[in-house]
Amino acid sequence: MASIPVLHTSSEFREEFFDRGGENAARCYQCATCSSVCELAPANAPFPRRQILWAQWGLEDRLVSDAGPWLCYQCNDCSVRCPREVNPGDVMASIRAMVVEKLATPAFLGKLVGNVKKTWPLLVLGPLVYWLILLGATGIHIPGIDPELGALDGRFHYEHFVPHILIYFTYFAATFFALFTMWSSGRRFWKMLGTSQARTGSFFGALIGAFFDIATHKKFRSCDRGVFKRKWGHFLVMWGFVGAAITSGFAVVYLYRETVFFSWLNLQYSYPMPITHWVKWLGNISAVALVVGGLLLWLNRRNPGDKLVGVTTPFDRFFLWVVLTVIATGVLTELFRFIAAPPVLACAVYVIHLAIVLTLFLTLPYSKFAHILYRTLAMTHERLTAENG
Amino acid sequence: MSEAKKSLLVIGAGIAGITAALEAAETGAEVVLIEREATIGGRVLRLNNYFPKMCPPSCGMEINIRRLERNPRIRVLTRSKVTAAETGDGGWSVEITTEPAWVKANCTACGDCESACTTEIDDPHNLGMSKTKAIRLPHPSAWPKIYTFDRAAVSDDEAKKIAEACTYDAVDLDAQETTQTLEFGAVVVATGWKPYPLEKLEELGGDLDDVVANVQMERMASASGPTGGVIRKPSNGEAPARVAFVQCAGSRDVNHLNYCSGVCCLASLKQARYVKEQLPDAEVTMYYIDRRTPGRNEDFLLGSAELEGVTLTKGKVGRIEKSNGGLKLHVEDVENEVILEAEADLVVLATGMVPNAVDDDLAVFTRKDDDGFVLDDLEAGVTVAGVARRPEDVAASVRDATGAAARAMVAAGRRA
Repeated sequence: MASIPVLHTSSEFREEFFDRGGENAARCYQCATCSSVCELAPANAPFPRRQILWAQWGLEDRLVSDAGPWLCYQCNDCSVRCPREVNPGDVMASIRAMVVEKLATPAFLGKLVGNVKKTWPLLVLGPLVYWLILLGATGIHIPGIDPELGALDGRFHYEHFVPHILIYFTYFAATFFALFTMWSSGRRFWKMLGTSQARTGSFFGALIGAFFDIATHKKFRSCDRGVFKRKWGHFLVMWGFVGAAITSGFAVVYLYRETVFFSWLNLQYSYPMPITHWVKWLGNISAVALVVGGLLLWLNRRNPGDKLVGVTTPFDRFFLWVVLTVIATGVLTELFRFIAAPPVLACAVYVIHLAIVLTLFLTLPYSKFAHILYRTLAMTHERLTAENG
Repeated sequence: MSEAKKSLLVIGAGIAGITAALEAAETGAEVVLIEREATIGGRVLRLNNYFPKMCPPSCGMEINIRRLERNPRIRVLTRSKVTAAETGDGGWSVEITTEPAWVKANCTACGDCESACTTEIDDPHNLGMSKTKAIRLPHPSAWPKIYTFDRAAVSDDEAKKIAEACTYDAVDLDAQETTQTLEFGAVVVATGWKPYPLEKLEELGGDLDDVVANVQMERMASASGPTGGVIRKPSNGEAPARVAFVQCAGSRDVNHLNYCSGVCCLASLKQARYVKEQLPDAEVTMYYIDRRTPGRNEDFLLGSAELEGVTLTKGKVGRIEKSNGGLKLHVEDVENEVILEAEADLVVLATGMVPNAVDDDLAVFTRKDDDGFVLDDLEAGVTVAGVARRPEDVAASVRDATGAAARAMVAAGRRA
C-alpha cells in the first residue's frame, strides 16, 4: 500500500518567514511563471514556485533540505514577470536567510544573527568592546604619543599599538570557530540535500566544477539582465576578499620567515615589506577591487522600487554594511600609515577595523556570508543530481 | 409623463444590447439601439461556435433579427456613436452622431460596386487576418444587409468609379455625417469588449506568425473566416501537428489584465475540439493555471479532456520563442514538478476581454470599476449588460441583458 505523505507544517516558521521579508509569498497562486522564466532552475528540480508553496505552508523541513534557494542568484526575472507581485526573487532571499538560521551551529547564534534587525548593536559593539578591554588590559600604546615608543621615525607601526600575538590569538580562534561551525552546518546541509534528491558521481569532481563556476561567475552571466552592477560588484568583492586572504597569509609567512616553519623558504626582505613587493601589490589590487566592487554593490541597492533590484532586508543590510565597513576601515588603516595621519585617529580606525573584521568572522556562519558554504554545496549537489529525476 | 422619458437608449448592438433592446421593446418600451459598426451582432458573429452546445451563433442571430424586424418599437442606428450625453430633469439627453451613409438603404447587395473596387483593406470582421474590398458586404450574416464603404481608403477617382458601377444609385459620395439629440428615460450600456492585444504579449510570442489569439482561432475555424474554416499555420499554410493553448495569456496578471475573463478556459477547450475534428492526429495541449469551467460546463471540460491526443497540463507558459521551424514553450509541469521545453507548431494565446469602456469617458458611464467595467447606477438611470459589466459568456450576457432591460425600464418609470 502506498503510504500517504505526512506534511510537517509549522505556523511559527511561516510567521517568522513572513516577518523576515517573505510576506508576499502569501499572494502566490502557483501559476509557475517564475519557474518557467528562470534561466537557472534545473529542469528536474525547478524553482522558485515549489519553494514558495512550501513557505506558504511552513514546510520548514523541505525548504531547509532543498538546493533550489541556493541555486538562485536573484536576477529577479521572476519578480518582473510574476503576475501576483509575489516577488519570488525576494522570497527566495528570505528563504535563504531562514535556512542559514535553521542550520546554524549552535542554534542560538543563528537566531541572534537572524534577528539582526534588533541585535545588530550587540553584533557590532561586542567585538569592539572585546578589543577595547583586551587593549586596556594589556596597555594602550599609541605610537607617536606614548613616550616609551619614542618619536615616529617616519614609519607608523600598528604593531606597537596592537601586538601581533593578540591578533593571532583572536583571529585564529575566530577562524577555527567559524570553520568548525560551518563544517558542522555544512555536513548537516549536505546530508539533507542527499535525502531530497539522489546523487551520482564524484563529490570532488563536482566540487571542482562548482568552484570553476564560482570563480568565473558563470551563472551570474546567464542571469544578468537589467542590473549590470550586481555581477561585477560581486565578482570584484569576491576576488578582493580572496586576494586579501592570500595577502594576509603571505604577510604572516614573511613575518616569520626566519622561524623553523618558514626558514626553508629562504625568503628575503625585512619586515615591513617594501611597497613594490608583489605581496603588497596583491594586497593593494585586492583593496581596489574591494572598494570598486563594494561601491557597485552599494549603488545597486540604491533603487529600492525597481523589481529587478528587489527588497533589501535587515539581514542583507547588515551584511552589506559589515563588508563595506571592513573595506573602508582597511583601506583607511593603510592610507593613514602613509599620509602621517594623527596617531589617535589612525589607531581608532585600526581598532574599528579589527572589531568589524571580528564581527565578520564571528557572524560568518550565520550571516549572509554563509552563502559561501551553502551555495557551494548546493552547486556541487546540482552537478551530482543533474541526471536524476 | 412624456413618452420620451420612458424610452430607452441601448448602446451597443452585440448579443447583450440586441437582447436588452428586444426584451424592453417586447415589454412595451420604445427603444433606440445604436451600434458603431455597420452591422449588428458584434463579437458573437465573429465566433465559430458557442460552447457547450457547439452551435454557430448565426442561428441565434437569425431569430433575434426576426424579432427585431417584427418589432415597431425598436429603432436601430448603425455606424452611430454617443458623442455627448447629459442627465437631469429625470432623463438623459443624448447626442448621437452617425457616420456618413456612403451606401444608402436601397442597396441590394448585388456586388457590382465590389467588382469596380480595386482597393483592399484589412478585413475588420476577420480581425485583420485577411484582406477585403474597401466596399463590401461586411460578412454573410450582415444586418442590415447593405454594403459598407470605407470611403477614406480609396481615392476620389476610384470612389467615382464605384458609385458609377451601382445600377441602383445607392452609393452616395455626398453623404454627410449626421447628428441628432434624443431624450431617454434610461440608458442600457452594452458597449462590450475587445480582445487583449497580442502586441502586449511579446514574451509569449505575440509578435510571431504562428502565435494567434483565441479570437483569431475562432475566425480561422469559421467557414466564413479568412481560411474558409481550415485550421493552419499562418506562416506557411501547413496543417499544424502540435497545437498548444496557452491560458491566462495576459490575464490574472498585475502586469496585464488583473482579472479572469471567465470564458477563455472553455473557449480553448472548444477550440481543442475544432482542431481534433479537422486534424484527428494533431497533438493538442492546453497549459493552464486553473481550469475554470464553472457549473455544468464541467461536463464540457471532462468531455474535451477525454479526447484522444488532448492533454491538459497544469502550468502557466512563461516564454515562447522560435525554435527549429517550430515554437518552444517554457513552462513548468506543476503536477510533475519538471520544466518542460515543449514544442508546438501553432500556439493559441487565450487572451482575455477588455471592456471597451476602459478608455472611454462617456457621461453615461457614471460608475466604473478599476478595470474599466461599467456598473449599474439606477439613480442615474443607467444599467449595464454583457461584458461591459463583467467578463462573461454569451449565455450569461443574454440573461444579464434581460435583467438590465427590466431594471432600465423600472429606472425610467421612476424618473419620469
